[in-house]
Amino acid sequence: MNIQVTNRDNFTVVSIHGRIDTINAENFNTHLMHILDNEGVDHLVLDCAGLDYISSSGLRIFLVAQKKISAVQGKLLLSNLQPTIKEIFDISGFSTIFSIFPDTEAAIKSK
Amino acid sequence: MKAIFSLMPVLLFLIGLFLFDSFKLVNKKYLILCMIWGAIAAWIAFYLNNWLVNQLALEFSLFSKYLAPLTEELLKSILLLYLIARRRIGFSIDAAIYGFSAGTGFALAENIAYLNTLNYDTANVVWMIRGFGTAVMHGGATALFAMIMIGGIQRDKPFILSIIPALILSYVVHSGFNHFLLNPYLQVTLIITLLPVLFYIIFKHSTNVLQQWLEIEFSNEVEMLSMIRRGEFADTKAGNYLVELKKHFLPEMILDLYCYLSLYLELSIKAKRNLMLKENGFPIIREVDTMDKLIELRLLRKAIGKLGELALQPLVRMKHLELWKLNQL
Repeated sequence: MNIQVTNRDNFTVVSIHGRIDTINAENFNTHLMHILDNEGVDHLVLDCAGLDYISSSGLRIFLVAQKKISAVQGKLLLSNLQPTIKEIFDISGFSTIFSIFPDTEAAIKSK
Repeated sequence: MKAIFSLMPVLLFLIGLFLFDSFKLVNKKYLILCMIWGAIAAWIAFYLNNWLVNQLALEFSLFSKYLAPLTEELLKSILLLYLIARRRIGFSIDAAIYGFSAGTGFALAENIAYLNTLNYDTANVVWMIRGFGTAVMHGGATALFAMIMIGGIQRDKPFILSIIPALILSYVVHSGFNHFLLNPYLQVTLIITLLPVLFYIIFKHSTNVLQQWLEIEFSNEVEMLSMIRRGEFADTKAGNYLVELKKHFLPEMILDLYCYLSLYLELSIKAKRNLMLKENGFPIIREVDTMDKLIELRLLRKAIGKLGELALQPLVRMKHLELWKLNQL
């Protein structure tokens, strides 16, 4: 799993590539929390185009990020979810918790 | 000051345990119920112990060392047994907190009664020993009972067989305390230093177990359910297994097994989602049709019977934890 961070308009876009599973969830968590806590990001797009797999550990990190951003009245948006990943969100009902967009452009424009 | 010494430590300890519950497994309603039950148990124990002392003509010190711990631990555990039987307690964390709460209720009622009886005419140190020692011991012993009990249930031990080691251990702790083999100050120091360490270790372990359980089951269940919904289930190992069952069951039974599996997976995933939401401080989601689906699952479970459940066991276990999980919906 690796991540790339870019800035577009008011948003920080974190592009995730690979898998977020038990083994690397902690690593992903460290990166994401560093962005949220140290860089003071409150408008974040998680671009999941390259995300192949997410386990419950990964979903829990998304929830922590959502909570942190909501606490500062910011926005966490998810974009480009592959059909298998979108299915996980739909089946578990997490789609109602997160704002999901078909692509990053649409997510940024939604502000 | 005497009231603070005798009542506050155990309450603070309970609040500490409650805050330590990262998955928010504890339901506040049951927590308060346990505390109220503990107080009622103390009241019953008072009359029962007096009656037993008279009936058995036992010397009081012998009674308090050997018999009172048994009656008191038994009485405190009644509501916990009910909650476990109703699958309202799932892991060591919630078991410990509910158990400690029952012990807290017992200790508070006992200490309030002593405060009134002794008219506060006792040295502060006595109330400190009762508050930090006896009261915390009451909570700790009942918490141990609940944790050992739930440990037995999780290892698929029969309910009755799980009670015995749990009761023995809580009795030994309680009776050992009442023997005052050590200097009371040392005894209190040991309790307030060792008990938090013990709880920390158990909570840490239980949290890891819960996280692993979530991690492994959640992904598998989502994958299995999505295959069922896409009509690809028959191509999987689990699907092949279900197809194999056709040789042994009537077609309508196979349909019920299939519906049961599908519905169980859906509800199980949502229950785990709710656990994750609670862990992160989000309100849980209650879908409008959840109640109907739970009823449907119960009816399907009845329809497939024990034989069907056994047949499905390689795919779906229906043990204590699985039933507890559905109570999270």
